[in-house]
Amino acid sequence: MCGFIALTLTPLVYAIARLESVTGMSSITAIGGFFNGKSTLNALEFTILEATLSTLFTVVVGLPLAWALGRYNWSRIKLLRAILAVPFVTPSIIVAMGFLMLIDSPGPLTAIGIDLRLETGLIGELASATGWSNPGHLIALITAHVWFNISLVVRFIEPTLSTMNRTWEDQLRLLPGGHSWLSRLRNLWLPVLGPATLCAASLCFVFSFTSFALVRWLTPNQDTLETLMAKSGGSAGIYGYRIDTSEIVLSTSLVQLLILSIAIITAAAIQRKHSSMHATISESLSKSSSQMPTRPAKITILAGLLFAITPMLMVVIASFRVRNSGSTDTEFTNSAWLEAWSGDYSTTPIPEALSNSLVYCLITLAVALPTGWIISSCIARLERENRLKTAQLVEFGTMIPLALSAVMIGLGILLGLLKWSPNLFNWAFIPAIPHIIITTPFVIRILLPAIRSLDVTYYEQAMMLGLGPLKAWWHGKAAFLRAPLVVAGALTMAFSLGEFGASWVLIRSGSWDTLSVLIDQLMSQPKFNPLIQPMAMAAATVLMVLTFTLFFIAEKFRDNSEGSGF
Amino acid sequence: MKTKMIFCIILLVTASTAGCLGFLEDDKEVICEVLPAGHEDDGKLRIISYDVLALSDSMVEQFTNETGYEVEFIKEDDAGGILDQMMLTKNAQQADLMIGLDNTYLQTAIENCLLQETGFTSNDNYQNISSSALEPYSGPLAIPFDQGPVCLNYDEDFVDEDNVTAPTSLWDLTSEVWKGKAAFPSPVTSSPGRSFMVATIDYFENDEDDTTNAFDWWRAMAQNDAIFTSGWTEAYETHYTGGYGEYTTGHIGDAHITVSYCQSPGVEAYYAENYTHSTSLVLPKATIQQVEYTGIINGAANVPAAELFIEYLLSPEINAQMPENNLMYPVLEGYELPETNGYRYHSDLPTENSDIEIERINDNMDSWLSQWQSATE
Repeated sequence: MCGFIALTLTPLVYAIARLESVTGMSSITAIGGFFNGKSTLNALEFTILEATLSTLFTVVVGLPLAWALGRYNWSRIKLLRAILAVPFVTPSIIVAMGFLMLIDSPGPLTAIGIDLRLETGLIGELASATGWSNPGHLIALITAHVWFNISLVVRFIEPTLSTMNRTWEDQLRLLPGGHSWLSRLRNLWLPVLGPATLCAASLCFVFSFTSFALVRWLTPNQDTLETLMAKSGGSAGIYGYRIDTSEIVLSTSLVQLLILSIAIITAAAIQRKHSSMHATISESLSKSSSQMPTRPAKITILAGLLFAITPMLMVVIASFRVRNSGSTDTEFTNSAWLEAWSGDYSTTPIPEALSNSLVYCLITLAVALPTGWIISSCIARLERENRLKTAQLVEFGTMIPLALSAVMIGLGILLGLLKWSPNLFNWAFIPAIPHIIITTPFVIRILLPAIRSLDVTYYEQAMMLGLGPLKAWWHGKAAFLRAPLVVAGALTMAFSLGEFGASWVLIRSGSWDTLSVLIDQLMSQPKFNPLIQPMAMAAATVLMVLTFTLFFIAEKFRDNSEGSGF
Repeated sequence: MKTKMIFCIILLVTASTAGCLGFLEDDKEVICEVLPAGHEDDGKLRIISYDVLALSDSMVEQFTNETGYEVEFIKEDDAGGILDQMMLTKNAQQADLMIGLDNTYLQTAIENCLLQETGFTSNDNYQNISSSALEPYSGPLAIPFDQGPVCLNYDEDFVDEDNVTAPTSLWDLTSEVWKGKAAFPSPVTSSPGRSFMVATIDYFENDEDDTTNAFDWWRAMAQNDAIFTSGWTEAYETHYTGGYGEYTTGHIGDAHITVSYCQSPGVEAYYAENYTHSTSLVLPKATIQQVEYTGIINGAANVPAAELFIEYLLSPEINAQMPENNLMYPVLEGYELPETNGYRYHSDLPTENSDIEIERINDNMDSWLSQWQSATE
């Protein structure tokens, strides 16, 4: 446990110490300087604006979906849940590409008069009437964030609805406090759904706040704190060279850390409160008294499914659509797939990138899963021993990676390696470190509720029966945690497959390019050659299929009564 | 308790640690001598470069077959990324060979002792390198391998259809007709952007008006709603209407002029069967020759392999492929852009390149970047 917290904090302390040394200023002075810079203040303003709007709209769109899913008896509930949850584990660079295809001109949205990219027509008129600069870009970013985070709302709220005793509402209708829908909202729904909604909203805010690939591609004229740091990060931390960039990275990362710490603590506090309020009856019992889906519920779910699937379909289509030289005409061909598969144009072939991705995600799995288990067990034991404050402190410590900037993690690891073991620098497994740092908190989030509910007497009884420690552990503990372990394992692998933000500061060995790095490399190349972009989409499609396969495996093993597994 | 927890953790990570960790100041010292290897020599050749398109798998495979040295790449985003990485790992260099620093970054690398001498200057092929490629630097620390003039590219369709006169001075771009229609990659984060900013300094130092300088022009451009992007890709592909970007996903197309290379219209034509509506603006002193270099890193573990790769890169067989593979001119005399699909025809030659010495670029770059940021904020 201490090892994980050290693994997380050491790079951060290294990075901060180095940046303070390079800039000659303390962190406190740097934070003061942040509020004197125009570019940093603009980035902060835009980050707060987009994260707040993204959060609001995610809740507005996600609530009806969660309601429809949780209140009615659906025949293929696992499949519906999986499709609606898939966006959250989709690599962000694929989401960005999918939305670019969606808003492209000509494209599905421009066909109905909504031009979010070139901002003509309705959006152009909106910009002219309000003087709002690039409203289309912001709307596109918020829509993409809603898509990405919608499963958070569904995951947190739907289980509350599907396991709630339906007789509560009937009983309340008979009471003076439940006659009108407004009074039922105030006396039943707000207390029941409010904490889960707030918890989901806090996490939506965190993920929108730190979003990188989506901001980079969808709002090219605006910076968030994360993109501002990414631009400056490369030359940060070097003595006597581009000190201004070190100042930006130091001050911006600290401000981000402060804001995100507050958001994450809020989420953790609400989640603790929330976990004691619901799950009053089993889902199957609750569903037995549920109605079959109404027409509005069907329409809501259908719209949600279309919303979830469309950007991904656009990526697949784009991998086969190649423009003809010198015109806007396109033709459908598999030539980009063939090129991407064979790895021309100085890029790694897809099969090689795929195998590299799998190696990294297996390493991440091998480290993150046991680490997450040990930390979760430790927190649960502290709680059982009634050392609640310590348990809370440890729990918060494990969530720190969510508040850290990728630039700071990468820079810190790089500086640490330079100091302690430069020979490890080119070790191909180094990029797995940020993957482990980032995925372990998710493992803990998934395993902790299951370990909390584990009856320790099973293990004690197994020991009393004379089983060896390993067998006792297996029969008394591991056997009961099989489902959450599979879920955590599959999600860890899915997150590792899609991650590239934290790795970019670290030196990458060319022979170890992963699929997400390959996509980014292709998208960053000059695209005079018409095949380059479809090749990137082909690599994205492979990554997407792999991620989805893992996620569907996770869904198959997920316990119905445990929906909020993030 | 929670407040205390937050405070403690924030204090832990943000406490003023400068001076507490003395080891972090080690590489403040500058020692200009050949450094010991920064990494183990395992027989491989490690090359730090950006995604140089010319370094294809087949080319590297051929090198390995011919020399027996395996090659491993450490890829950075661009020339600036290469320099950043070399600076950061100064006392423990992880690569043997650098490929991709250009003449706006090279002097910084030289003055920070990041490169060591190569014996290639006595090779026959060195004598065949063109004078334009050797003009910025002709010493033994770096060898040019490709080159190309950076200049403004504009959309001919916009000029023709809207009856706009093509600019005859950079000041023309501050007029109403170009308002919000120029896209510039930032010199802070982009190599062509940096080259063009250097060109503007020379341009305005040599124009007839002594009361204004380059940064007055950049300020005027910012006031004329010029678009500033982080990299060349965003400016050329996302914003520029004259290039291939108009056929790609995510194109915005709000800029009719941008910074690229004078041969970019030629590259457009090469890939589009001799069609392009982009052309370059070759105003005297508003273009600058960008030369890209390769050099052995000070702290390399495998110097013999690095020497062999320089020879290989500068061999006529490989260097002649630069126009098709890396979209740049070769540096060897006698090799030109191909005529296929109008590549050479559409590639304008500069009338008079800006000629600021690389020493001056290095001495002033920080100050210029700072002035540029103030002017365009």
